[in-house]
Amino acid sequence: MRLADANTLIPRLVTTPTEPDADRALVEQIASWCDRYTPWVAIDPLGAALADPDAKMICSAGGYGGDAGLLLDVTGCGHLYGQGEAGEHALMADLVQRLSRHDFTCRAAMADTAGAAWALARYGEKQADLFCPHNGQRDALAPLPVDGLRLDPSTLERFLKLGLRRIGDLYSIPRAPLSRRFGDLPLSRLDQALGRLAEPIEPRRPPPLFRSRISFAEPIGRGEDIAAATDRLILALCRQFEQASVGARKLELALYRVDGSVDRTAIGTSRPNRDTPKLLKLFEEKLGTLDPGFGVELMILSAPEVEEWTGAQDSLPETGTPTKFSWHEDGTIDLADRLASRLGAENVVRLAPHDSHLPHRVQVAVPFATAVPEGAWARLASMKGARPTRLLQRPEEITVTAAIPDDPPRQFQWHRHTHKVVRVEGPERIADEWWHPRPAGKTAAANIVPPVRDYYRVEDNDGARFWLFRDGMVNTAKWYLHGFCA
Amino acid sequence: MPAISPKDFAPPPAGPSAALREQVRRLERAHSVQRAGRSAIPLGIPEIDALLPEGGLLTGALHEIEAGPTPSGRVAPHDGPALGFAAHMLGRFEHGTILWCRQPAIGGDVLPYAPALSAWFDPARIVMVTARREEDLFWAMEEGLRTPGIAAVLGETRASDLTAGRRLSLAAEKSSIPAMLLRAQPAPPQSICTTRWRVTSAPSPEVPGIEMLGAARWQVELRRNRFGAPSVDEMPAWLLEWNDETNHLAVVPQARDGSSGTVRRERLAG
Repeated sequence: MRLADANTLIPRLVTTPTEPDADRALVEQIASWCDRYTPWVAIDPLGAALADPDAKMICSAGGYGGDAGLLLDVTGCGHLYGQGEAGEHALMADLVQRLSRHDFTCRAAMADTAGAAWALARYGEKQADLFCPHNGQRDALAPLPVDGLRLDPSTLERFLKLGLRRIGDLYSIPRAPLSRRFGDLPLSRLDQALGRLAEPIEPRRPPPLFRSRISFAEPIGRGEDIAAATDRLILALCRQFEQASVGARKLELALYRVDGSVDRTAIGTSRPNRDTPKLLKLFEEKLGTLDPGFGVELMILSAPEVEEWTGAQDSLPETGTPTKFSWHEDGTIDLADRLASRLGAENVVRLAPHDSHLPHRVQVAVPFATAVPEGAWARLASMKGARPTRLLQRPEEITVTAAIPDDPPRQFQWHRHTHKVVRVEGPERIADEWWHPRPAGKTAAANIVPPVRDYYRVEDNDGARFWLFRDGMVNTAKWYLHGFCA
Repeated sequence: MPAISPKDFAPPPAGPSAALREQVRRLERAHSVQRAGRSAIPLGIPEIDALLPEGGLLTGALHEIEAGPTPSGRVAPHDGPALGFAAHMLGRFEHGTILWCRQPAIGGDVLPYAPALSAWFDPARIVMVTARREEDLFWAMEEGLRTPGIAAVLGETRASDLTAGRRLSLAAEKSSIPAMLLRAQPAPPQSICTTRWRVTSAPSPEVPGIEMLGAARWQVELRRNRFGAPSVDEMPAWLLEWNDETNHLAVVPQARDGSSGTVRRERLAG
């Protein structure tokens, strides 16, 4: 129905424009809230297909907004709420109750297969049917309408014309004619729902191998409480690490607030780590940035990245000052981790040589954990005299006066001051890396490399030394300042 | 009316005040130098090492290196020479990681360039830390000073914070790791640092008939020398020459000037 028609029928109709982005954001938020039950949470992909106007696969129900769906793989999660099936019942009840407390209308169903749960959640009639016991999906699905098979509307229409109204009606039909007539999709959907065909759920966030959780009877909000809880979580996680003989490279702490939102923070380490005090120290920098909001009811610490444990013992006795450069025992790694957790990993780097003859490409910043072998720079040591102690990340354009265009500069202007050039050394011609195509239509202003640069070391009348270069051909040349010499 | 005798203008005899001064001096030493084990690393320049306490750069102390104004009195166009002198100091500490903390410049950033630094030490030893805020920079330096594997901590900043300086100095004393501050501009003279150096570029040696660049020369002033030997000059200064072939930094003999390498300069404010 069009909006105009609807307005004619009901003159006082209240309308609001659809906001697919807001819907999506809300579903994402609920999905991340659901991480409290299982790390394996996915947004129903059929819903996503509906939201996309170009989607090929349209399903009869689902989609963001009205009836968006979430798929949770809760295998092995029910024990947190009780023994066996009762625990799974309790988990589902808890989920529905908490969501409705936030004023969401939701229907949850649990079954062995995602397909069966999908159908039950949307078409199950009785509340008791929503929990499908182990291996009971065949009976549970039989009375449901065929719409529960996640098929496109045209197939469903043909099913109805043939009198196939219930899923159970399909059980007795031979498979070959069915597939000849309707294609493979109905059969594979049926097999997925009944568990004959595996249907993996792709989680939104890769599920961590290791996690520990702590839930609070009363929401907590004080910084000390959160720190104490973090300490306990790290301790529990480190025990898991010890059993698996791994160490964490990355840890993520998630705070589930009472208002349903989730706050996360992460730390990284440069080597596999399972030292509780050190990990806690890394988190200390981050805890201040976390906002407990109205209170935190659940905290989950997970390790998205672990690596095989390389350290020797978990606690080494204090050995005095190391005589030789040993990255492992001298605390440098822990220092770098601490710095990186406060300043960002991109701000704690090491300098590595790069195979290039272009001055600005010689030095690259690599993550701290990357090994730069001792003496890697030795090859470049031969050119140190001719190289500046500081290099401008962006060469600055300068105005140069020379006697004749091809001559070295007599004076140059930089930062509104004229430097008289007293002595010159050069030129040192550095050609472009011709095997890298130069972006067309751009000048040398930013990070673009000119075809040929003539470098000069010059000394001004104050004795200050600069590293200049002329970019391009003599007639159209531009001069740049590229470095400061010692 | 008593006549004014020349005696009244003579310096006061070594009385209680001098003794007191000596006592304060000893207390200061006991507090700083002796606790740090009095270890120092010579700079490798005999003329300078002779004036420094323990014959070199104290390890557990804060040292400041600043780029001085040009001879014409302007702000130095860049701190290349000061960086070179700081790198020379860092190079004297042969083992361990060098923690290099810096604040990114607004506008184009100017990074230290490792091919040049490799003259003094292996750039693979550097851990480069970029901190946007001053407090983060000082925090990173302090954390570095508490880590046994660190050879030296260098901070590049324009900020001069007395409290931060004192904290750095104390942290350095505790761990015997030297802390250095490299400044692109002279900072106010109030500071807790043990030594303060001002490095200015100096013109290449004059060789008649040749207009090529010679070896790099720096005018280095020792503006503050706590616990050091007294010097004949108020503020000792030297003209140093960096030989990039032998990697050797030495005082330029200035026979033509008539002095033995020490250049007398006017005392600047501060």
